[in-house]
Amino acid sequence: MRGRSITSVIAIGAIAVAMVMIVGCIDSETPVEMTTIHIGYQPSTHQIAAMVAYEKGWWEEDLSSFGIEEVVMKEFPSGPPEMHAMLAGDLDVAYVGVAPPIAAMYEGLDAKIVAGAQTQGSALVIRPELAEEYEREGPLALKGKAIATFPPGSIQHTVLSKWLLDNGIDPETDVDIKAMGPSDAATAIGAKTVDAVLLPSPTPTIIVEEGNGVIVEWSGSIWPDHACCCVVASGEMMRDHPELLKQIIKTHIRATEYEIAHPEEAAEIYAKLQNADTSTIMHSINVSDMHWIHDPHVEVESGLEYARVIYELNSERYEERGLEVLGEEDIFDTSFYDEITG
Amino acid sequence: MKISAAIKEKGLWLVPLIVTILLWEVVAGYVIKNPLLLPRISAVIHSIYTLRALLVPDILVSLLHFSIGVVLAFLVALPLAVAMGWFEPVFKAIDPIIEILRPIPPLAWIPLAIVWFHLTHYAAGFIIFIGAFFPILIGSYTGFRDVPRVLVETGKVLGCIGNRKLIRYVAFPYALPAIATGTRVGMGVGWMCVVAAEMFGVGNSGLGYRLFQKFYFLHQMDYVVAYMLILGLLALIIDRVFRHFVEDELLRWKKGIVK
Repeated sequence: MRGRSITSVIAIGAIAVAMVMIVGCIDSETPVEMTTIHIGYQPSTHQIAAMVAYEKGWWEEDLSSFGIEEVVMKEFPSGPPEMHAMLAGDLDVAYVGVAPPIAAMYEGLDAKIVAGAQTQGSALVIRPELAEEYEREGPLALKGKAIATFPPGSIQHTVLSKWLLDNGIDPETDVDIKAMGPSDAATAIGAKTVDAVLLPSPTPTIIVEEGNGVIVEWSGSIWPDHACCCVVASGEMMRDHPELLKQIIKTHIRATEYEIAHPEEAAEIYAKLQNADTSTIMHSINVSDMHWIHDPHVEVESGLEYARVIYELNSERYEERGLEVLGEEDIFDTSFYDEITG
Repeated sequence: MKISAAIKEKGLWLVPLIVTILLWEVVAGYVIKNPLLLPRISAVIHSIYTLRALLVPDILVSLLHFSIGVVLAFLVALPLAVAMGWFEPVFKAIDPIIEILRPIPPLAWIPLAIVWFHLTHYAAGFIIFIGAFFPILIGSYTGFRDVPRVLVETGKVLGCIGNRKLIRYVAFPYALPAIATGTRVGMGVGWMCVVAAEMFGVGNSGLGYRLFQKFYFLHQMDYVVAYMLILGLLALIIDRVFRHFVEDELLRWKKGIVK
């Protein structure tokens, strides 16, 4: 009886293998007309352009002539899960920090940065009682302190590590860097479980307004003009729908220029979509050192630095796979932008 | 004859295991063909070898978090279970509170864990405590509540006068299998909380931390799956060790009741 049941199990396994192989052989790569576009973004003032274009109906308005019937906006808490969704083929275009797509490109993401979105705009916030010590000693006051920021490979982690090293502080041994999301980090500094945080806007302003911290450095003073957010397009968009992609970049430029000209309205749109307080968001935009941009060329230099840092963090893995540090042409495709802007 | 019986016995679990491994390798390598969607099991095993230097400290830190959570859950749940299971008014008073707290997912406790226990191993242990506590409590008090009246009366006749003696000599031995089952379920749920417990900055090592904050964020799916397998294997080992010491040794008298 047992012998028969074992044979049955083997037979079922063999049939299952055959079935999946047959299903796998069915070619599903027939080009499909695109009627829905999926755009990823994060709830950050850095990426208000995506929200402005959505709220004003510009995505549908500008893309309908290309056969687009629906624009689906997908919100993500941070860049890595957003890029994970893009790897899975769920996003056509993404507003995201420059570092997460580079980390994903090392793992095979078929996409490139096609436009800039914003530079600088993160802040180092320390607990109010440590502000005096920081004023007196500068970055050295952070020695032995716990600092919360995004995980290794993120822009914030890279900016912080580089700055600490530049000031003679070893990020591995002299400080305790805690990898956290923005909400957990804000809770942690409020509960005094960390001494400082380095986070993108608007969280630093929110922490200050809650009385839990003081902004002591903006990331622009740590690393002038460092790249932050960008627009990434999937390889499929670039190859199969170049004209549609050009229009997406045009709409992004339109939204970026509008938010620069009308920051109050941009803050209102953000507050409405994110259920936030308009005055806090406006204050965050006013005090932040971020610059909304659309030119991808501005982000190339620091983008290449992020690529180097990410490579160093994972050198053993990448070397084993024969990968080299990604270059400009691996990460950026500025041809669409250049064609639009002449 | 004996060898053939042993092969047949092992075949019961070995054959499905081998078929699953082969199926995984074939599906990942020849059907999906994208290691980001499903890495080959051969690549996953190679990853475990590559990550061997990280594995030991990560396992130890995760076991520390697990031990804090499960031991505290057991120490708090057991006395409460005795009180709730043996004294009806205590049960009526506490049960509504337990039933309100029980469905709250361990993940929802993370903000409170940060402010109550700061970013320490105890904060991670607290999340595991939440996962393990309720199955241990419910399993255990059910054991005490189910003590047959005839056993209680017999105990009294044989000199167990007073709640203390009845609990010690009648109810506790009767409830032991239920306590063991509740603890086993609680340990399983607690282990499932390890990843959640380590993803909010309590430290820079641990299986959950590495899986979620490093490998997942860098899209290193073969490493993610390697750590998932390690989590599964460790759970299996913990469960087998528990069953060996508790079910096969402590509750040896129970053998033969059903099988």
